Order: sequence, then C-alpha cells, then structure tokens
Amino acid sequence: MTRVVRALGTHTLGLLELLGAMALLQLRITRALFPPRYDARETWRAFYKVGVKSYPIVIMTALFTGAIMVIQSGHFVAKSGATSFVGWAAGFAVLAEIGPILIGLMFSGRVGANNTAELGTMVVTEQVDALRALAIEPIHYLAVPRFLAMIVMLFLLTALGDLFALIGGAITADLMVDIPMKVFLRQVFDAQLLDEYLLGLLKGSFFGMAIAVVSCHYGLTVRGGATGVGRAVNAAVVAAAIAIFVADFFVGVVWTVLSK
Amino acid sequence: MSVSIRDAGQEQLIVATGLYKSFGGEPILLDVGVEVFRGRILGIIGPGGVGKSLLMKMLAGLVEPDAGDVTVLGQSLQSLNASGLARVRDRMGFLFQNYALFDFMDVGQNIAFPLEQMGVPKAEITRRVAERLAEVELPGIERLFPNELAGGLKKRVALARATIAGAPILLYDDPTAGLDPVTSSKIFELIRRLHRPDGATVIVGHDIDRMVAVCDEWLLLHEGAVLFRGTTEEGRASSHEVLKTFFMETGMLGAAA
Amino acid sequence: MSSLAPTPATAEPQKRAKRPIPRQSKANRPLLYPLAAFRRGATLFLETLLWCIKPGALKRRRRQILEQLFVIGNKSVVFITVTLGVLGLISVFQVLVQVERILPDFSMIGPAFIQIMTREFAPTMAGLMIATRVGSGIAAEIGSMVVTEQVDALRMCNADPVDYLVMPRFVASVIQTTLLSIYGCVIGVASGFIAAGLFWNIPAGTFFNLQLVAYGDVVSGLMKAVAYGMAVPIVAAQAGLETSGGSEGVGTATTRAVVNASFSVVVLDFLLSGFSFLFLSKGPM
Ligand SMILES: Nc1ncnc2c1ncn2[C@@H]1O[C@H](COP(=O)(O)OP(=O)(O)OP(=O)(O)O)[C@@H](O)[C@H]1O
Ligand SMILES: [Mg+2]
Repeated sequence: MTRVVRALGTHTLGLLELLGAMALLQLRITRALFPPRYDARETWRAFYKVGVKSYPIVIMTALFTGAIMVIQSGHFVAKSGATSFVGWAAGFAVLAEIGPILIGLMFSGRVGANNTAELGTMVVTEQVDALRALAIEPIHYLAVPRFLAMIVMLFLLTALGDLFALIGGAITADLMVDIPMKVFLRQVFDAQLLDEYLLGLLKGSFFGMAIAVVSCHYGLTVRGGATGVGRAVNAAVVAAAIAIFVADFFVGVVWTVLSK
Repeated sequence: MSVSIRDAGQEQLIVATGLYKSFGGEPILLDVGVEVFRGRILGIIGPGGVGKSLLMKMLAGLVEPDAGDVTVLGQSLQSLNASGLARVRDRMGFLFQNYALFDFMDVGQNIAFPLEQMGVPKAEITRRVAERLAEVELPGIERLFPNELAGGLKKRVALARATIAGAPILLYDDPTAGLDPVTSSKIFELIRRLHRPDGATVIVGHDIDRMVAVCDEWLLLHEGAVLFRGTTEEGRASSHEVLKTFFMETGMLGAAA
Repeated sequence: MSSLAPTPATAEPQKRAKRPIPRQSKANRPLLYPLAAFRRGATLFLETLLWCIKPGALKRRRRQILEQLFVIGNKSVVFITVTLGVLGLISVFQVLVQVERILPDFSMIGPAFIQIMTREFAPTMAGLMIATRVGSGIAAEIGSMVVTEQVDALRMCNADPVDYLVMPRFVASVIQTTLLSIYGCVIGVASGFIAAGLFWNIPAGTFFNLQLVAYGDVVSGLMKAVAYGMAVPIVAAQAGLETSGGSEGVGTATTRAVVNASFSVVVLDFLLSGFSFLFLSKGPM
C-alpha cells in the first residue's frame, strides 16, 4: 500500500515538475517577445525551414483525411439515402476536429520531433553551452524563432490543409460515393461551416504553441549522448500528442460555450 | 592473388583486393588490398579517421565495399548468401572499437551470446564464460550490466565475447585504446596467447610500442591507400617520412636493440 | 618481387587514385526516394514474415516477444486512455451542439457514435498513438544500437537483426495494437457517454445501444488494427536500421519513424476504409 502511494506521489511530482518547467519556458519565451528580443534572421530561417519541411506531408495527410471522412459518412448515406448529409458530415468532421488534429499530429512528428532532435544534438555536442559562452541567450536565439515559426506555420498549414482535405473529399465523393464533385462542394458550401473552419484554425494555432513549447523543452534538456537524443524525441512526440488532445478539448469547449 | 616466394606454400586466410569505399561522394578507401597468412598476426596502423575500422568491417563482411572483393577462408564474401556468410562468421571473432556490448544484456549474457547462437549446451556455456572472465582478470562480474562498467572493463568484456567461441580468425579493432599501460600489456599478452597457429589475427591499433611485440607484419594506411606493407624490420629500414613518424618515434629502435 | 616488400620508401605517398566514382544509383534521385524506401520497407516486411513462420521461431523468441508485449502495453495504456478519452468527450460534445440545432431527437447519437468508433476512430487513433509512442521508441532503440555497433555485433554472432530485433516487436505490436484498439474503443465510447449524459442527460440505455454495429464494422475495425500493428513496427524498424551518423542520426531516425509510421496509418486507413465501404457495408444497417 505505501509502495503504491509512494509511486503515485513520485509520478505526480514528476508530472508537476515537467508542467512547471514547460510553463517556465513558455513564460521566458513570452517575455522575450515583449519587447522583442530575438534574432530576426534566425526567425526568418525558422519560418522557411518549418514551412518547407512540413507542407508536403501536411497536404498529403489532408488529402487522405478528407477522403476518409467522405468514405465514413458515405457509410451512413449508402443505407439511408440521404446524400445531402455527406457534405455536411465530412465537412464538419474535417474542419472542426479531425483535420486540425491529424495535421497537428503530422506537424508534431515532422517539425516538433525534428526540433527536439536538432536542439538535443546541439546540447549533447555542447553547442548550446558555446552559445552561452558567447553571451547569446539560447532561449532568444533558438527557442523564440522556432516558437513563432511553429504557431504561424501550423495556422497557415491548417488553413491550407483544410482546403486540400475538401478537395480529397470531393474526389472521393465523385469516385466512390457517386456524388459528383460539384455537388459535394456545393453541399459543403451550403452547410455554412465558416465557424467550424475558424475553430479549426484557432485549434491549429494552439497546437503549434503546444508543440513548440514541448519540443523545445525536451530538446534543451537532453542528457546522455546519442541514446539520450532518441529518447528525448520519443518523449517529446508523446507529450506533444497529449498536449494536442488536451488543447483540442479546451479550445473546443470554450469556443462552444462562448458561441452559444 | 600473388603468393610471394617467401610465403610459398603458405595459405592466405584473408585476401582483400581493390577495396574502394566512399560516403556521400567523399572517398575514404581507394584501392586497398590486404593479405593475412595462416599463423600470422597483422598489425594495421594509420592516422585517425583514415578508415581502419571501416577496413576491418569489410574484412568481416559487415560493410559492403563499393568496389573490390574480400575472400576469407577461400570464400568470397560478396558472393555468399546469408547462411554461407554465417558459416564464415562462425570462424571469426571481432572486437569492436567502441565495445558494442549489448546494453540490454548483463556481462554474462553478453559473453555467452555467441555460444548460445551456436547451440552449445548451457552448462558448458556457464563454465566457459567464467573461465574466459577469469582470463581477462574480471572474475565474477557476470551479473553486472555494461553501463555499470568503466571503459577499460568494457573493453575486456568485449574481448572476452570476441574470443569466447575460439574462432581461428580474430579481428581486434583498437584493443587497448584508453587503457593504462599495465592492462595494455596484459591484453596484448592475451591476444598473443589466443592466437592460433592454424588461424590468423589482425590488430588495428595506435599503441605501436606494444604491438611490436606481437605483430609479425604491418600495414600502414595513409590517405585512403596502403602506404606500406611488410615486416617490422622492413618498416624500420625505411626512410619514408610518414613511415618514420609511425615507426621511428616509437619504441621501435628500442625494440630492435 | 615479394608482395610483402615495402613500398619504395622514396616514393611519394600514393596519390588519390582517379577512380571513377561508382555511378549513383537511381534510388538517390529525390523523386524516386520514397519509392525506393517503400521497396526496402516491403522487403523488410517479407523478411520479418518469413522469420515469423519459420518452424519454432515464435517459441524460440518467446521471451523477447513477451517482453515486447509488456513494453508496448505498458507504454501505451495511459497514453491511449488520455487521448481517446479526450477525443470521445470532445467529439460527442461538438456533434451534440450541432445536432441540437437541427433535430430534437438524440436517440441515434449513441448508436452512431459507437458504430463510427468501432469502424474508424478507435483503431485509427490507437494506431496513430502507437505510431507515435511505440514507433518512435523502436526507432530510437534500434537506431542507437546501430550507431553503437551493437547491430554489427549481433551480425558477427550470426544473430540476424531482423530475427532478433524486428520479429519480436512485430509480433507483439500486432497483438497489442489489436487489444489496445478494442480498449481504446471502450474508453472512447465511455467518455463519449460522459459528455452525452452530463450535458444532455441522455440515458445510458439510449446511448449504449449496439443496433447500428454490424458485422462489417467490427471486421473493418479489427482489420485496421491488425494492419497498423504490422505497419508501425516495420516502418519504425526500417528507420532505425538505416540510421547513420552519431547522436544526430538517432534523432533523425526517430523523427522519420514518427512521420512515416503515422502517415502509413493514414494511408492504410484510407485503403481499408475504401475496401470495407465497397465490400463490407452491404449487411443490414
Ligand atoms: N557508416 C558511415 N557513414 C558515413 N561515414 C562513415 C561511415 N563509416 C565510416 N565513415 C567515415 O569513414 C572515415 C573512416 O572512419 P574509421 O572509423 O574507419 O576511421 P579509423 O581509421 O578507424 O579512425 P580511428 O583511428 O579514430 O579509429 C571517417 O571519416 C568516417 O567519418
Ligand atoms: Mg576506428
């Protein structure tokens, strides 16, 4: 019994410590933004790298996501005959929920994991210490540019990805569910899903923030050589996935309550 | 294959010819050849990063050369299938430069692993592992894990694993790096003891002082190619600049005295 | 002359021979890279299958398989509980807010939600989570074994890395992904009910109604789980085995594993959804 309590206590403490460390990192990043104290050139580079690295996988994922959602709502239609339902159901699921989540998860795997690996390698090869020795604050130079880049880019990629998801959905509707592309897109349009689209974009921005803080935290606290970097990447993507779902929950609830 | 007059009748256990390897367009080895005769101990030396470890891995069939051929015990490694390669490797032991101990096994399991793979009975494995550990002067550490050991101990455990199966061909990549002089001497002594007259041994090393007492022949790699190949005397007699820095400035002269 | 004679010591150190650099294979061209990677993955998959069906193979590797079963389960249970729990809550919540405006009748929400969880979201979300949690773990583990030469050492001892490292993870992953998908389905449905019961007072009897779950839905869900369970360890192990370079290499391999494994889950989901839409949805509603 005491063993269980102790294990539970240790875990809770560990979790609190982790959350505390991330909150602190978030605070330090925010402080560096007002007034702006970060490397502008490094920020541009981060924007470019983050965007270029992730857009192919995001677009591919979005195409498939739209297709899957259409097939899934097609299941209901095949039995009830309510074809007008497909556009609404697929559009709603993609824009409000599944699109942002899948795009966020892919972005986390591509950009977040890469960020952790990169920062982690810099830590184990003592490059971060070298920055400090040059009186360059690693948070300003490394974390802030990536933070900004991830928020903005995931916002834009969600905006773009949603459109590709609808295209993927339209193609699938035409080929598999016997709903012509034009009709499907008309349905989506008629369903008046602008609110859902905006909700998805808001989620995307929050996911970007969560991924940025989580991946920077795990990258900057790597210990133990090559094995350590691998382990940190592993821990970072897991934590980012949890953060995505938790953020999804809170943004979804707050949005719904406010828009009621 | 050229068999010299001096070695007439001597069998080559390892022959490598025309080995070429590059990584991402950067050539590392260019046209390297190696011969190791039955009963001999070959020392491979050269500056750091020249490709010694790479060459050793090619001799064991762990790295495919981009061009060239490796023949071990009369079998061309490039033409063998998996089971043929396995039969050749059964007769080889390899000490890796960075230990390469399995970190998910304890020391005893590490050393026992090659024997287990060969299907040796359990009781005999336990006995032979204990014996070999005593031989590398680390008796009774079977239950420790590699990450609990210091570098020197790891090297000796790795040596024990490489030699446990009693293979005729033994390849040691830098067996004494980072070890103190006393242990180094003991390791080379052990290497000489484990060398089989009907087998062959290859040692990569920087510790030429001590290797002199063990190696019959030398191969000096320099800028991706073999700069020198011959016996200790031949190496000593040479007046080539690079050879001098390798041989003369070490205890070679003392060894000759 | 003796082949062992010293190279003439007066000679210049051998110049770097002007050898033609071996022609770059087509696989290195960026456009064909995914295709080549896919081919290598397929080869690894077949190799793993061959090791699985070898007589006595499963028995010989029983210890490692049990160990991996534990590792995968232990790593994923909490993770899947959290993610699918949240997903169930928020999905039902959002859908009910929408439906409220259109129809007053909530009786079909529970059955439809259970159906789509079974057929789609439970296996796919569990698969994505396992790709993230387990896939990256496998790549990190095997990748660091590659850079520390442990994989070479295995090969020197005539232990095939596919047999020794990939096969046990593969078998364990297929079993665990299936079990965890079922578990995730239960969690998702239960938390969906929490939202429905808490905010809309939908009674349990109305919500937990299996009338819409057909044979085809269950088969479709299980098929997906098994397919993800096969794909994730293969994709991840491939990334791990192809690691090169030091600590940077392991990080890159782990990253690649997460992206490729997640993406293969998405693609498989598409293919299997299409398959079950065309061939399995003919049964009664
Ligand atoms: N798998 C690989 N991928 C890329 N480059 C490699 C690989 N293996 C070896 N190299 C490169 O080949 C070169 C030779 O490496 P190798 O380890 O063989 O040197 P070495 O002679 O053993 O050095 P040392 O004396 O330090 O042990 C190095 O520059 C290394 O970077
Ligand atoms: Mg070396």
